[in-house]
Parts: sequence; structure tokens; C-alpha cells
Amino acid sequence: MFARPLSAPADQSSGMLFFICLDDMKNWKPSAPTLLLLPAIIVLAAVVIVPLALSLYSSFTPFRLTKPETFYVFIGFRNYLNILTDRDFWVAFGRTVLLLTVALNLEMMLGLGLAMLVEKATRGQRLLRTLMMFPMMFSPILVGFQFKFMFNDNIGLVNNALQSLGLTDQAIPWLIEGHLAFIAITVAEVWSSTSVFAILILAGLLAMPKEPIEAARVDGCTPWQTFRYVTLPFVMPFAYIAMTIRSLDVARAYDIVKIMTDGGPAGRTELLWTLVGRTAYSDARMGLANAMAYFSILLSILFTVYFFRKLAAARNQIGAEW
Amino acid sequence: MNENAAARLKKTLLRVAYWIGLFLAMLLICLPGLWIVLSSFRPTVEIMAKPPVWIPNELSFDAYVAMFSGIGKGGIPVIDYFRNSIIISVTSTVIAIVIGMAGGYAFARFRFRGKSGWFLGLMLTRTIPGIALSLPLFFIFARIGIIDTHFGLILVYVALNIPFTIWLIDGFFRQVPRDLAEAAQIDGCTRWQAFWQVEFPLAGPGIASAGIFAFLTCWNEFALASQLTRSVNSKTLPVGLLDYTAEFTIDWRGMCALAVVMIIPALTLTFIVQKHLVGGLTSGAVKG
Amino acid sequence: MNGLRSGVCAGALLVALGAGSAFAQELPGKFDGVTIDAKLIGGQQYEALYARIPEWEAATGAKVNVISKKNHFDLDKEIKSDIASNSITWCVASNHSSFAPQYPGIYTDLAALLPKSELDAFVQSTIAASTLDGKLAMLPRAQFDVSALYYQKSLYEDEAKKAAYKEKTGNDLVPPDTWEELAKQAEFFASPPDFYGTQFAGKEEAINGRFYEMLVAEGGEYLDADGKPAFNSEAGVRALDWFVNLYKAKAVPAGTTNYLWDDLGQGFASGTVALNLDWPGWAGFFNDPKASKVAGNVGVKVQPKGSSGKRTGWSGHHGFSVTENCANKEAAASLVWFLTNEDSQKLESAAGPLPTRTAVWAANIEAAKDDPYKAEVLAAFQEAAENAFAVPQTASWIEISNAVYPELQAAILGDKTSKQALDDAAAKATEILQDAGEL
Repeated sequence: MFARPLSAPADQSSGMLFFICLDDMKNWKPSAPTLLLLPAIIVLAAVVIVPLALSLYSSFTPFRLTKPETFYVFIGFRNYLNILTDRDFWVAFGRTVLLLTVALNLEMMLGLGLAMLVEKATRGQRLLRTLMMFPMMFSPILVGFQFKFMFNDNIGLVNNALQSLGLTDQAIPWLIEGHLAFIAITVAEVWSSTSVFAILILAGLLAMPKEPIEAARVDGCTPWQTFRYVTLPFVMPFAYIAMTIRSLDVARAYDIVKIMTDGGPAGRTELLWTLVGRTAYSDARMGLANAMAYFSILLSILFTVYFFRKLAAARNQIGAEW
Repeated sequence: MNENAAARLKKTLLRVAYWIGLFLAMLLICLPGLWIVLSSFRPTVEIMAKPPVWIPNELSFDAYVAMFSGIGKGGIPVIDYFRNSIIISVTSTVIAIVIGMAGGYAFARFRFRGKSGWFLGLMLTRTIPGIALSLPLFFIFARIGIIDTHFGLILVYVALNIPFTIWLIDGFFRQVPRDLAEAAQIDGCTRWQAFWQVEFPLAGPGIASAGIFAFLTCWNEFALASQLTRSVNSKTLPVGLLDYTAEFTIDWRGMCALAVVMIIPALTLTFIVQKHLVGGLTSGAVKG
Repeated sequence: MNGLRSGVCAGALLVALGAGSAFAQELPGKFDGVTIDAKLIGGQQYEALYARIPEWEAATGAKVNVISKKNHFDLDKEIKSDIASNSITWCVASNHSSFAPQYPGIYTDLAALLPKSELDAFVQSTIAASTLDGKLAMLPRAQFDVSALYYQKSLYEDEAKKAAYKEKTGNDLVPPDTWEELAKQAEFFASPPDFYGTQFAGKEEAINGRFYEMLVAEGGEYLDADGKPAFNSEAGVRALDWFVNLYKAKAVPAGTTNYLWDDLGQGFASGTVALNLDWPGWAGFFNDPKASKVAGNVGVKVQPKGSSGKRTGWSGHHGFSVTENCANKEAAASLVWFLTNEDSQKLESAAGPLPTRTAVWAANIEAAKDDPYKAEVLAAFQEAAENAFAVPQTASWIEISNAVYPELQAAILGDKTSKQALDDAAAKATEILQDAGEL
């Protein structure tokens, strides 16, 4: 049902095998976990797996939205071959990987800093925590408009502030110059998502037993050493959880980038998702777009699996304390 | 004495530095958002002005008044959107929690073949970007006639939220000692009673945190909603934001005002449950 | 008013003949018990009109069921999805002249459903732009768009500036009538980062449309008579160079290649741009002291002309279409007529948008007599509308736009020469047209 069920050691000791007996329907009695997982599986199959199968099929057709009959034309791997040789696609692919890497790492570091600041606060914790989550209340589409206007070179808040403070007398073309546009998009993305990291890492800091820190201090560790060798290893699993959640949900950035630059100008900020979105609906070339989408899904899966393994390793590392 | 004073001074300085740091961090976090809130109260001429107008000369509720006025007077069907958003977000959050609880319990308490594979598989369903799902979903929904209904969107959002909910709640149940439920069963409870009376109450914070994440996801989701909703029957607030754009013009102030209307309930809810939220995440996600 | 040309729709609704008229029924007609499903463009600017729907319902006895209300881009997505999933079950939809060629075949010929006298009352160029393959695919509403030149009046009243400009160029400083003159003035006024001479939309269909009209004004063609891309001509290079040179001279904001209409409108309203080619929808906004710094200082003039003597005039308009699948086309056509009739157009154009009926133009100009700004706006746009032309009528227009605009941007930003960019764009456009079977 899923791409490839990962193998796991079968456990003989438990009588409750995830087990459906097909050749004897009369005595069929689903095991407890089957029953418990069934609703989840049904919903996910209906909403994710079936549509995914449909889009997988259409990626082998020249399907155009405005020509429904093309849905039934089979062209094999042509869409995929086109993509493999399309330089623009691979540039966008690379840029997406770069954006993910930069944004996720920045979000983690900033989230860590923010969480530590909030954790130390002796008063107003409740308010601070709520404020910390403030950006999560903003719909990504709104974030797009917001940062597009803020980074407007002529009348935007950012340039206005820089000019008022005398830091520059130029109109910095934030959304135009390739590197700056990448920065602007990263800022929008980081702003909207750092909260997720902060709240999870804060959870980690609050759960941390105080003894190891005391012990470290007694042993004469500097605050930096305490942080580096005691606190950090402890909160890393939380950071990886946040990473995993975020890498599950990165396509969220699509709404932001779509409004801010839509991949432009001259393709300088093109990401996989903007490319897929434009090919799919504006150009109406759904078949090709779905083939592209599979690359993007693959990318998400790689990121997610990678962080899952990191998470497992980090959990093991602190296993003793737990 | 001198050493003491120096130490005290250093401590005070550190405290001051800390508060300044905290203040700056919060400022950075809040400023872009506050800009939106402020924009909703200012005349457009001051929002994007050059030279900038830093201190508002004039604040008014005009944008809010207009929002609730009739169509043609700058109004949009905000009440309908709000109702749709609430119904869809709350229902799908509740259902996702129930299904997630069942699933999480299965992973936490039972052993079965291919368990970790199933777990990762469930998680990976979340990696599919909305843009890849939107058209096939539309096809299917159009066939069975649930386009532009609450049900359609609720179904999608439940699916969107199940993976993370299962994950969080799984971790949480693992942390509740097995012995507790077993002891209750020895005392004469059925398995079912033991679950509701012993294990479920302990999972409260986990459920609260899963709930708030799920709610915020539904509340702000745009890509799928814009494809699967069409009219006031089911359009949600994020889709309604685009009512303020025309082909060549945009009413940015109006959009900001609607954004504020969207943010207030979300923020209030977060404020209420945030205590459980942090606790829930702690035990839920990691200790598993 | 005559009534429905029922004869053309054989088998449909035979209306009782009355008083010896060939067309029995007056519009709007009677359609008791009929329900019309409609997809309408949403957003404040467009929805005031829909308040009239109950009137039509009361007059005809039919009901309108609005099944979708979205902005045009989402509506476009939705209609494409409906075509793809074979679920066009509705009767009436909002349409736009730039999008219409993409949906061949789903809309019926309105000329067959409405009396000729009614169609004659529209501005004929918009009727022509609404006619695809000989079928009148949509009836234009009072949302006609063509651009005119907005400018800051005070700049042209400043004696010091006048003298300086005269000295520099030898010409008088008056609102420009050619694009060449406009470029000179733009460079003259510009003083970045505080003030810019002009600006232009820089992405998506917007820059392609602006390039297209400049190309026409320079005497070029976008697609030749055979439908082949022909914009990489000398005229094309001249047209694109106009944008490139302004950008190089820093006479436009550096961000202009990322601007869409919203950024442009906000920019001119902020008082930091001297000259702005823009749409009629902004006229009220620019002169509203609560929204704009240039209120009271806005002049409007017909759009300048290019070296061929032709004026730019890329235009588009909104309208309503009736589907081929519609079970009751007469009722649908009646609704579409009602939403575009004189009263509807008066209501809609009172808020600023341009009408598409000749009589409404006249009435609006008459009504604006005592409001000098409004009169100036209307006069300028009426003249601008005379130079209007629609986009090439190919189903691939939007797709071509998407392929061409990154190349235009590349030239403007200096990544490529104009010729190189246009050759690359033409190659892509040719490929698209070949893939679509149009070449």
C-alpha cells in the first residue's frame, strides 16, 4: 500500500500479530491493532493514496487540463525523460534543496535561541510562549503578501527603515537580485516557521532534568561547556522532531514564494513547487507537472527519512537519562 | 565587599542584557505580524508611504466596518467564511484526534508485524505536497459530488493531520506505564474502562498539543481549500483573503483587517492551551 | 427591445407570439421554475453588480444559484479542472477576454440567443474581441480595461524643471505623447532611491502584455498571419529595448521586474513615481486623499504612441458566458444580458470601471460634467479605448506568456541581450504552439 513497506523484525512473542486471514473469512477476526489503525488507513487511502495513484498514472500521459481526451493517451516515460534533460528543472531542484537546507538550519538555530531566552524568563511565561507562536497564526498566503510589500524596493518597510536609519541611501532591490531574493524568501519562510522549532525545543528544555546541569557546574564547566555538552545533546531530539515535522510540511513554502516572486524574475527564485504549480494550472500541462511533482515527493521523503534516522540516533544517545 | 559589588554589578548587567535580548527577539517575532495589525487600522496612504510615516496620524475601524457592510460597499461574506472555517477546523481536528488516538494507542500498546514500516509509511503520506494532490482530489471529489461541501474539506484535513497526531499520541501513551491499566483491570475494570479512566486522562496534554497543531493547520490551509471550495457554502477564511484582490487592484488594508479577524481566535485558543501544549510535546514526541 | 431569437434554437422553448412581433417576449422574459447555476468572479470590485440578480429573479421567475465566487485566476483553475473532469454542469460563468480562448468549445454562441439590436448597443471593438471562431463567446460587462497614462501634474507646472528640461533636451516639458519622449522625461525626473520616472509591471502575463502592446506600437507582430511567433523581429528588439534602457538608466524602481499591478498602484499612490501607465480601476484610488499621496495632483492622458505612430492599447474585458451544456440557454442568456444591460453597466461604471455600451459612455461623460477629475479620466480613457486591441486569439496565450516572460525579464536585468532573449522566447513559444497542435 505504501511505497515500500519497510521491513522490521517480526515479533513472535506477541499473540497480536497484525494479521488478516484471507482464506477463512468466516473465522476472520481482526486483531486489535488492525481495528485501531483501520480508520487512519482508510482516510489516508481515500485522500492520499488513491489520488496519488491517479496522478502517477497521469504522469505517463500528455494530459492537458483543457483537453480531457489526452488523459487516455499513454506516452510512457516521455515526461520523465523531458524532465531529466531540462536544465531549468534541475536548477530549480538544486535551489529547492539549498533553500530547505538553509531555512531548516536557520530555523533550528533561531528556534533554539528563542526557546532558551523564553525558558529563562521568570515572569510572563504564558504570554511569552503565546507571542512566540504568533507567526504560526498567519496563513502562508498572507505571509506572502506581507513580505512582498515589506521587501518592496521603493515603498517597502525594510528599505524605508534602512533609509530612515541612514544605513543605506540605495533602494535595495530585495526581490530582484538573485541572492537578495533568495534571502528575502528565506526570511519570510524562517519567520513563519521558527515558532515550530522554538515551541518544540522549549518543550525539551522544560523537560530536562536539572541534576546534570548542577553536576556540570560543580565540576567547573563554563556556561558554554555546559550548554555544549549537557543541554544541547538533550534538546537535539526535539530539534530533529521539529525538523521532521517541518520537512513533512515544507511545501507550505509554496504559497509564500508564489505570492512573493512566483519564481522570478528570470527564474532566479524558481523552486520545484512554483514550477509544478505553474506547469499544472497556468500552462494546464498536468501530466508533465505530475511527473515533476514525483521528484518533489521523492525529495521530501529523503529529507524525512534522513531526519527520522537522526532522531532515532539522538534518542539513543540520551537513552540513559530517560 | 568590592568583589561582592562587582559580582552584583555583573549580575545586574547580565540581567539587563538578557531582558534586552528577549525584548529584541520578541520584537523581531512580532513586528511583521504587528505591521499587519497596524495596517488594518491605518488609511492606505500611510501604510505604504514614502517618506515613511512611522507614527500613525490617524487610526480607524473603517476597514472593519467595510468588511461587515453589504456587498458592493466593500463588504465580504465574512460571517459565512468564519462559520465555515470554524466548522471545518473544529470538526476535522476532533476527528483527527479520535483517529489519531486509536492509531497512537495501537502503536504504543501492541506489537505487530512491520510496525515501524507502517509507522514511517503513515508519516510519509504527509510529505505529498498539496499541489500534487489538488487535482486528483478534485477529480474524485467532483465524481462523488463533494466539491464545495464541508464534508469534503473535513475529510482532507483529517488526512492531513492524522500522521502527526498519531506520532504525538503514540509517544504519549508509551510513557503512561502499562502497569496502571493492568492494575485497573485487576480491580475489575474492563480494558475499555481502564483506558478511559486511567490512560486517557493522563494523555490530556498530548491531545491538547496535537489538537492545537491540527487546528492551526486547518485554520490556515490555503492550497487545497482554494481548489476544493467554491462558494460561501464552504469557502474558508484563507480563501476569503483573496476577495480583496481584483484583477488589477488590491485592498491591502481590508486584507489585513480580515487577517486580524483570523488571528484572534487562533491566538486566543493558543493562549488557553499553551500550558498543556508544551507539556504535551515534551512527553509526547520524544519519550517515545 | 425584441426578444429572444428563438428560431435559431430549434426545439427550445416556443414562446407565445404577441402583438404581431416576430420576437414574442421582451427581455428579460419569463422562466418560471428555472434554476441557473452560475460561477461568478468574486471580489469587492465585481460583486456590487450581483446585488441586481434578485431583480432579474423577480422579473423572470427563475432562480440563480451562485455555485462559485473566486478571483479570476482561481476561477480559471476551476474551469480548467471542470473541463478536465468533464463536470461542466453549470450554465453561466464569468469570463475574460484573455482567458476565453483557452476554453474552446464549452461556451455557446450568444449572438444566436440575443437580438442583434442589443448586441449593436455595445462598443463594437469589444464585441469583436469577444468573438472567437465566429462565435460570440461572452457578453462584455462594464469592466473594460485599457491603460492610460497617469502623471503627477505638479511636475509639469514647475518652472525650474521646465527650464532644465528644455535646456537638456530642447523640448518643452509637457505630458508625453510618444514612448520615446516618455523615456526621456522618465530619466529626467528620476532621482533614485527617492523618486522614479516611471515603472512597469515586470512579471507573468503583465510584462508579456506590456511588451506585446509596445511591439504593436513599434509596428511589429506577436504572431504572424500563420500563427507563428514573430516577435523576435527588429520591432521586437526596439520594443524590448525600451524597457531595458529605462531599467539600465535607473529611471524605474529596481524592483520593477517583480511588480504586479498591486505594487504599481501602491507605488504611484505613494507619490514616488512621475509617470504611470495604468488601468482605469485605479483612477478613484489615486485621487482619494485617504489612499493616495498624489490625490489632487493626478493628470490622465491617452497612452503614448510608438515609433510606428500606433498607440499601445493592450486591452481586456470581463464578461459572462453561457455553456453549451446548459439546459436552458434562453434563461441563461437573459441573465447574461441583464447583467450587462444599460442599468447594470451604469451601476457598475459609477464606481469607476469602464462600460462597454456606447450609451453608457455618453451618460457617464454627461454625469461627470461637474467633476473635472472624473471628466478628465473619462475623456482620456475614452480616447484610450479607441486604440484598444485584444491579445492574440490563441488558446496557448497564457502558456506562451509563461514561457516568454522569464526571457523578457532576463533581458531587462541584463542577463541576455534583447535579441538573444527574444530568439529564445520565440523558440519556446513555437514549441508550445507545436505541442498544442496549433502550428
